[in-house]
Amino acid sequence: MIDLLLKTSWLVPCYGLFGGLATLPWSTRAITRTGPRPAAYLNLMMTCLGFLHGAFAFRSLWGQPAQSLTVPWLNVGELHLSLILELSPVSLGALELVSGLSIIAQVFALGYMEKDWALARFFGFMGVFEAAIGGLALSDSLLLSYGLLELLTLSTYLLVGFWYAQPLAVTAARDAFLTKRVGDILLLMGMVALSNLAGSLDFTDLARWAPTAHLPMWQATLLGLALLAGPVGKCAQFPLHLWLDEAMEGPNPASIMRNSVVVACGAYVLVKLEPVLSMSPVVQGVAIALGTMTAIGASLVAIAQVDLKRALSHTTSAYLGLVFVAVGLHQSDVALLLLLTHALSKSTMFLGVGGVIATTTCQDVRELGGLWSRMPATTTAFLVGAAGTVGLLPLGMFWAMYRWMVEPTVPRWTLLLLLAVNFLTALNFTRVFALVFGGVPQPKTRRAPEVPWPMAVPMVSMTVVTLLVPLMLERWQLLLSRVTTVTEGVLMLDVPLMVALVMSGAAGVALGAWCYLRRGAVRPVRLPIAAVQDLLSYDFYIDRIYRLTVAAGVGAIAQITAWIDRYVVDGLVNAVGVAAIFGGEGLKYSTTGQLQAYVLVFLLGVSGFVAIATLSRGVMPF
Amino acid sequence: MLLSCLIGVPLVGAIALGLLPLPEQEAKPARLGALAVWLVTVGLTVAAIAQFNPADSQMQLLETVPWIDRLGLGYRLGIDGLSLPLLALNVLLTGIAIFATGDKIRRPRFYYALLLLLSASVNGAFAARDLLLFFLFYELELIPLYLLIGIWGGDRRGYAATKFLIYTALSGIIILAAFLALAGLAGFQTFEYGPLLAFVTGMDSPLGGAGLPLGTQVLLLLPILIGFGIKIPLVPFHTWLPDAHVEASTPISVLLAGVLLKLGTYGLLRFGLGLLPGAWHAAAPYLAIWATVSVLYGAFAAIAQGITNGDMKKMVAYSSVGHMGFILLAAAAATPVSLMGAEFQMIAHGLISALLFLLVGIVYKKAGTRKLDALSGLFNPERGLPLVGALMVLGVMASGGIPGMAGFISEFLIFSGSFKDFPVHTLMSMVGTGLTAVYFLILLNRAFFGRLSDRAVNLPSVSWWDRAPAIALAVPIAVLGLLPSLLSVWSEAATNSLAAIARLGIAG
Repeated sequence: MIDLLLKTSWLVPCYGLFGGLATLPWSTRAITRTGPRPAAYLNLMMTCLGFLHGAFAFRSLWGQPAQSLTVPWLNVGELHLSLILELSPVSLGALELVSGLSIIAQVFALGYMEKDWALARFFGFMGVFEAAIGGLALSDSLLLSYGLLELLTLSTYLLVGFWYAQPLAVTAARDAFLTKRVGDILLLMGMVALSNLAGSLDFTDLARWAPTAHLPMWQATLLGLALLAGPVGKCAQFPLHLWLDEAMEGPNPASIMRNSVVVACGAYVLVKLEPVLSMSPVVQGVAIALGTMTAIGASLVAIAQVDLKRALSHTTSAYLGLVFVAVGLHQSDVALLLLLTHALSKSTMFLGVGGVIATTTCQDVRELGGLWSRMPATTTAFLVGAAGTVGLLPLGMFWAMYRWMVEPTVPRWTLLLLLAVNFLTALNFTRVFALVFGGVPQPKTRRAPEVPWPMAVPMVSMTVVTLLVPLMLERWQLLLSRVTTVTEGVLMLDVPLMVALVMSGAAGVALGAWCYLRRGAVRPVRLPIAAVQDLLSYDFYIDRIYRLTVAAGVGAIAQITAWIDRYVVDGLVNAVGVAAIFGGEGLKYSTTGQLQAYVLVFLLGVSGFVAIATLSRGVMPF
Repeated sequence: MLLSCLIGVPLVGAIALGLLPLPEQEAKPARLGALAVWLVTVGLTVAAIAQFNPADSQMQLLETVPWIDRLGLGYRLGIDGLSLPLLALNVLLTGIAIFATGDKIRRPRFYYALLLLLSASVNGAFAARDLLLFFLFYELELIPLYLLIGIWGGDRRGYAATKFLIYTALSGIIILAAFLALAGLAGFQTFEYGPLLAFVTGMDSPLGGAGLPLGTQVLLLLPILIGFGIKIPLVPFHTWLPDAHVEASTPISVLLAGVLLKLGTYGLLRFGLGLLPGAWHAAAPYLAIWATVSVLYGAFAAIAQGITNGDMKKMVAYSSVGHMGFILLAAAAATPVSLMGAEFQMIAHGLISALLFLLVGIVYKKAGTRKLDALSGLFNPERGLPLVGALMVLGVMASGGIPGMAGFISEFLIFSGSFKDFPVHTLMSMVGTGLTAVYFLILLNRAFFGRLSDRAVNLPSVSWWDRAPAIALAVPIAVLGLLPSLLSVWSEAATNSLAAIARLGIAG
């Protein structure tokens, strides 16, 4: 029985898909009598089924070698494409994380979206969303992963554009699709090249192929950069990061998933592609550089945001930047650990944020304040999530960062990067906390009640889970690096490192507290130089830069093409038509009846033909 | 006899519809008659598929009747893995066109008779194994299509129909010249495909000769390229297409984009690559450039339609120009993988563009306009077209090559198969795929997102009768995207043998 469950664990992502399809009668309004709720329950039930199924499979696989399932898909010529799933503790664990967070987000959505008439459509999208992410966790072939990444792009577009009548949501959906699509197309280019060079698109084959392939350096570099672009788009890294921030226009339950597991998908693929990427040092350098730039830049930008969700989403980019750096340094274990701890604590924060938005219908930190006494559970969720996201208390992220820094191969500068990100993030979270939960109540928060139970239950559950993360890590021995020195069963702790981590977090909190927790500070502090403030709050003007360069360029080329089409290509055709008419009109005056003229034309024509025929002898085949 | 019946039944049906004393103004009897004829052809197609042996790369279901022996013209039919899916596509889309035709059509008997005549001649072109016979069907198809655009079209239908006729008649003449020249070089003994191919390559030729020299082959290939290039259409011979689409009524657009353009690509594969492999190999680098230009040109022209708030139908038409360019790229590379991609793209584009034209047609019927600036918020569940919007999302995503739908498979196969020979061209064409997403997002965002505009308030509701053809197209798009081997098994032997012919060209 257990074995059967393991063998059929490929079904787990399909549950989400079936759930999504099951909402169709309600979302197409074929059934209206029951209201949209049954669709939500159906979808939730399927996700729970998937979670249970996955849990059994996970248990039975624990401690066993990884298995793989291969489904031959398409054979054309020398191209043999199969869909391959890897069943390993890591992949099934990731799948469980996805299903679990999906349950949390969906239960939360029952409360958050309660009054939305399109509840069924939302749950349908969530089902597809979940299926794509879950499938990515299991996928062991680049082709399948690419397909699922694209499905994710599509469902992100639909989820962000869920409230399609809002102009901001429309542009956000468009930008999300197009920026991710840029990454995806580059990834597709890399994949097409790889299918020709390596002859296979399975991650295991690629890992075996990469060390033995002796590609010219420029080829390996271009290939690596193309493959890198996909995850860059998905993980919202510079320069394809602007979508995540805009995507916050979408419903919050989807934001919970997006900021935790969706961005992780790109990094997950990146980890799987690591052997191919390491063929070229340039690619690794680019990955590290992009990661570093995003980590620092996004941390700074986050501090200048006044939108509650955007302030948090930029830190998501920053942490994914750290993951990029880890992958660039060949530390895949660390990357996965960062992804796990970040996903859990960030989703807890977003649950809290969702609670605030649902009760106050406001997400501008300048208009919020004093919620701590009115919404204790929400405040706790936010605080615990924040503490789990920064290295301050010995919660998840602290151990992940610690684990990273004790790797002997890690360069020293990464410690500086880590401390800087930690400091800035702690500062940002303190700022948000002080403005939203601390201080005096504002008009919009004065009568705010605590969230209703469909939102409170997932919120509190995730708070507890976040608190338990260190225990989980210890239990699964994820904290032990392969190279950590374990003398007589005791982990040697690097005390100065721990102090440095805690101090950086504490310094951020202290600075934030000094700026904001003083009495009367209800407004965000503005930097003395307005230009810098604006630069950061507008995210380095990246959307304007794109509008003026890429978008304007494509538009200009399109206009030029249209002009050529209209006046040159079609103009020529119409000119031929007009010439024929005028030619006919003109020639009719040559029918004069003068026989000599006719004979002259005949003779000229015939002699012309003869001349051509004689001259072209030997050239023409006939 | 099956293939003859596939041509003959709609032909007889067309004549019968034209001659029978049915009521002139009432559409229903004519429609039912057309449907009955269509059902018979569906049965015949199923029978043909059942008799077809997918493992055999040769022509099957052969039929030969001597016709005008002195000219070498024979009534020779046969299908292989290349033409069978296209034949089935034609039958499917004919049905969709009949279903999608409204009840209040003028001169219904004439209309349905022409529709059936069109279907018969396209079937004939795909089944012809004789060059001259192919040409006859290729020309025959022009007449009903010209009338269908010219009589039941929009305001500028006269201009569009004439432009279409001039262009495609020219295309036919040029192709005829090439065919005649080739048969003439072989001594006017036959127009049959197989012996002529042997004559060109000089291998086991019953007509004698040691193969055509490369220079002659190139001279023959040029008119074939231009002739079919007009039909496909490739830039710069494409301007008839947007006009024809904009003026044609919805069912005619469905047929035009879905299957008639495929005559061009099919002809290119069969009579360009498949008949003159040596010249094809020599021309391939230029063809790849031509393909890339076509792809990008089509995409940018469609974007221009989007940003200037143009006509949705024109946008879809330009997207066809771009997407047909992929097939030329695949044909230029001529590897087994790319040729399978080309076959897949013909079917996928046939289904997807038909779906898009159907949906645009529904929008036009309900909202009274196709201009992007006049439409917005059509997703609105109460007064908009939500299900049409959902299908539109599916259609444009399939067109943009999102995996899980048929468009992705064809694009992936084409790119993967062409990359080795033409890496730069392939990468440029992939940019074209990316641009597809740009213009279709403009379409979705302007027309379907946002608030319902004031002038398009209270749209008449869409009946399931309207939606059914669109759903019938959406299903195979998704199924072929998830299970591509359903199609590839039928064509693999044929595309492999075509690739083998292409290799002859490289060796020669």
